Amino acid sequence: MSFPGQRYLGPRPNTLIIAVCVLVALPVVLTRPVWTDSAVVLGVYALLGLSVGISYGQAGILTMSQGAFAAIGGYAAAILTTRFGWPPYADLLVAMALPAALAYGVARLVTRLSPLATALATLALGSVIEILIRNADALTGGYIGLAGIPSVGAINTPAGYACLAWGMIVVTVFLYENLMCSAYGRALNVLRVDQARARADGIDVPALMSAGFAVSAAVAGAAGWLYAHYISFLSPESLDTHISISALLMAVIGGAGYILGPIVGTLLFDGLTRLMPAAELQGFFYGAALIIILLAARTGILGLLAGLARRLRRPDATPAPRAANLSPQESLP
Amino acid sequence: MLAIAEYVVRGALSGAIYALLAVPMSLMFVTVRTIDFAVGAYALIAAAVCWSVGGALGLAAGLGAAMACAAFMAIIFLALKRLGCEDHIIYALASFGLATALASLVLWWWGTQAFVRDAFSDPWSVGGIRLAPQGVINFALILLLVGALHLLIQHTSLGRMMRAAAANQTGAALASIPVQGIQVGTYLAGGLLGGLAGLLVLYSAGLDFTAPLGLTLSGFGAAIIFGIGSPLRGFFGGLAMGIAQALAAGYASAMVAGMVPFLFVLLVLTTSRFGEEALAGGRP
Repeated sequence: MSFPGQRYLGPRPNTLIIAVCVLVALPVVLTRPVWTDSAVVLGVYALLGLSVGISYGQAGILTMSQGAFAAIGGYAAAILTTRFGWPPYADLLVAMALPAALAYGVARLVTRLSPLATALATLALGSVIEILIRNADALTGGYIGLAGIPSVGAINTPAGYACLAWGMIVVTVFLYENLMCSAYGRALNVLRVDQARARADGIDVPALMSAGFAVSAAVAGAAGWLYAHYISFLSPESLDTHISISALLMAVIGGAGYILGPIVGTLLFDGLTRLMPAAELQGFFYGAALIIILLAARTGILGLLAGLARRLRRPDATPAPRAANLSPQESLP
Repeated sequence: MLAIAEYVVRGALSGAIYALLAVPMSLMFVTVRTIDFAVGAYALIAAAVCWSVGGALGLAAGLGAAMACAAFMAIIFLALKRLGCEDHIIYALASFGLATALASLVLWWWGTQAFVRDAFSDPWSVGGIRLAPQGVINFALILLLVGALHLLIQHTSLGRMMRAAAANQTGAALASIPVQGIQVGTYLAGGLLGGLAGLLVLYSAGLDFTAPLGLTLSGFGAAIIFGIGSPLRGFFGGLAMGIAQALAAGYASAMVAGMVPFLFVLLVLTTSRFGEEALAGGRP
């Protein structure tokens, strides 16, 4: 059996899965305005989750600053379009390049440290960015924020944004999967598991980790860009530490090491918590789910499913070592 | 000149809280080689419970609640260990989950209000410098506590066991030192000290449900400035951070003062060789 584009998508199962899911689900979602709006917001979160997946799942940097990177992307878009009259789309480049440059610079300084120290550095970085945004009144509008951010070209309906958001996700997954199939992706996996081995293999560990973090920040910046143009208003509360934490938790719960893990985590958890009565308890559910998933299956929901599938296929075989980009921590000795 | 002296003294008094939070951070980092992100959340729980119950009973109830949460974290740690998890970042992530859950519970039960209580109404005046009495009490209490802890770690057999477990876990276990017990004890100590910090903050500056992460990070910042190895260094780190914050608030702006703990963390991490040994030969 063959299908159009098989040559490109055949060896890219994740891209194929997400593309088919989006094509099937989107027409149904677009029939109701509430679902359409949720689809856009979930799309933004899913992009943030993907950025955590690249950073933590692949490069091994536990990031707690994705919300801040998204805020930089969002504010870059807002300021360039409202103050300087840039055409939308053109600002996407800046919204991705700015956080990427910042992430690369900081990561070069801290990735030589232990993973725990790097995680704390990202948390501190996110907090500093948040305070700066709050206080740079002249540039960001301070606490009041920036309003009147124009829509992206011809896309000015929620349905259009839903298509744009999930189109961006399909493209991101495709590029992400491409990266992980490349030598750089394999090198990232080696250094996450064993840095000494990676060095012995001739990998420039700090440079590659920083590049991975920069790519992740660029994806977060794109999420912020989408958010700013869709909501058309941006304030310091829009993309804060809370968002960074949610993105991290959702990615880990879904399976940060799997390409589609963060998207599964986002859909499952954000979808479920939207149905719950008390919004204040959202953090409780996230935290509890994180602890349960760490205890039950450290590789996330997708890791759990993959393990089950493997056991069903070969009931008495011991788990075979798999390609690193498909199965993260579980293949460690 | 008097202004500088006032800023320094006030900064040192408020920095004592960071110093107290630095102690569980350095203990945890040395003995378990991880970070308990929930220390700030223990402080919040203690403050919230104490605020609701009130009086001397409130203090005990607050500390008890913080200890109970820390005990829960210790159980999670043990369960992770039993399941064969040796990844320190997973322990940290689990404590992060607990911190998020606790903060959310406080938000749900108590709402967005700030928890603050005033035991004293009039400030004391010493040599022309106005001081908050609670700040002086905090400082004295924390100084006493850190001093006692230093003596415990350096001059008792329990302290020697702790240092042995920190230096070489396998070796300590072979010498029949209950390494796992010491690690669980460290988590509980984190609950006690975090809870105490929460009570002291409750009676001085006050806090709300958004505080935990900032408190944890401030404690960590204080712990690493002069090296994470000992609580005494953490104490001076906390004072340094408090003074820097007070000076920034006085001479720069509230914005810079708010950034001081995070800038400290970034500065120390980007310039030091902190945790680098884990990278050089550290294999999983």
